[in-house]
Amino acid sequence: MWSLVKLIFLFILATVFHWAFASIFSCWDLSVNILLVFAVAFCVVLKPGFGYAASFVCGLFLDFFGTRLFGNNAFTFTICACIVYHLADRFDFEAFFPQIVAGFGLTLLAGLLNSLLYLWFTSAAMWPGFWSLLGGAFVSGILAPAVFWLVRRILGKGAVCRQV
Amino acid sequence: MLSHKKSSKKNSTPKLRQRFLLPVVFLLLSFLLMILPLEGFVSSVKAVLAYVFIPQVRLAHSTAKYAENVYQTVRELLDAHRENRALKQEIEMTKLLASQAEAILDENGRLTEILRLNPAKRWVGVWAKVAYREPTQWNTVIIDKGSRDGIRERSAVISMEEGKEGLAGVVLEVTENTSKVLLVRDEDFSAAVYLERGQEEGLLVGNGPRPVRIKYIPLLAKVKKGDKVFTASTSSIFPAGILVGEVSGVREDESFQTALTVNVDPLVHSAAVKEVFVILDGGRVK
Repeated sequence: MWSLVKLIFLFILATVFHWAFASIFSCWDLSVNILLVFAVAFCVVLKPGFGYAASFVCGLFLDFFGTRLFGNNAFTFTICACIVYHLADRFDFEAFFPQIVAGFGLTLLAGLLNSLLYLWFTSAAMWPGFWSLLGGAFVSGILAPAVFWLVRRILGKGAVCRQV
Repeated sequence: MLSHKKSSKKNSTPKLRQRFLLPVVFLLLSFLLMILPLEGFVSSVKAVLAYVFIPQVRLAHSTAKYAENVYQTVRELLDAHRENRALKQEIEMTKLLASQAEAILDENGRLTEILRLNPAKRWVGVWAKVAYREPTQWNTVIIDKGSRDGIRERSAVISMEEGKEGLAGVVLEVTENTSKVLLVRDEDFSAAVYLERGQEEGLLVGNGPRPVRIKYIPLLAKVKKGDKVFTASTSSIFPAGILVGEVSGVREDESFQTALTVNVDPLVHSAAVKEVFVILDGGRVK
């Protein structure tokens, strides 16, 4: 129960961080996706049941602000969660470099997937631009170790966590 | 052996479920949300989510705003430090210029005495802020200094515009803490002035909303647009040499005229006056 409360608290913290970083980096036209990095960190730390649910809810939170399409972020976040759980056996997410690579790669993938989904369902282009996407993914990657550390630090080894 | 196989099968079932079933369920759910029209079910989901997410959004927004303010404050602080250094340098330069000016004034005083010329006058006075404007009379303002600060009726008032000091008006009424200033544009305002080019003197009069005029300029005087106009030494109120404005045109449409009437664009605009310098004792200090 206590670890579930911690998880909810972390989710709130993630939205606050996401909002703050998105606001700050929008000045430089960078689409930083801190919430996705948090979702990835959740998947690394949590059991699949909680990890998928947390990622889905994080995606829904971003969808909440969309006006033309609903569910696209939930979809991409779930895809990213799938990838993380499949890579968990081969990747050592304890080390900094895999964390940075995961943050960078998955932010890039989520951006591309979102644009494709938008194009498919609404026939509208939502392409943020290469610079914005790459720069945003880079910043997300750089911030990933801090996010992973925070998630591990707060969740510890609770009932919802995987015992690695 | 059989029991071992059974237990491994039991273990692998939840693993498989977690590995494939969970993502498939969430993917299907999000796909369903995407294909459904935004008006019906999706808007209900959004309405429910609003109860959960809106307080969070507010919290996130206020935190981001706070972070933004911190960044702004730090930037301002850094700017203030840089400005402070620049201003310190400027003050040093001003001090240097002031000491040079002092030496030049002393030299000027000595030369004036030797040549038996009229001594130059240094302006002394008080700075005052425009405290009130008459809504019906845009050509008079009330300033926040009065007789307590040494202001007397008919004191000359100047103001800074575009980095130059220019004639603003004259003190009309004085109370203990406030004074009423009649600005140059007012129809009741008049001052003796001269034109920079030919040194011809005339009488500057305000003309309300119409251009300020100089009367009694000799007919043959060469006046051009852009010529500067200064207060004349023959004025009983204003110290000589205060810039009034520039010539904006010469009126030539009057028949049987005996003198030219020159239009002047005052340097100090009535509507823009915010701070003024009231020259005390007619500027006769030195």
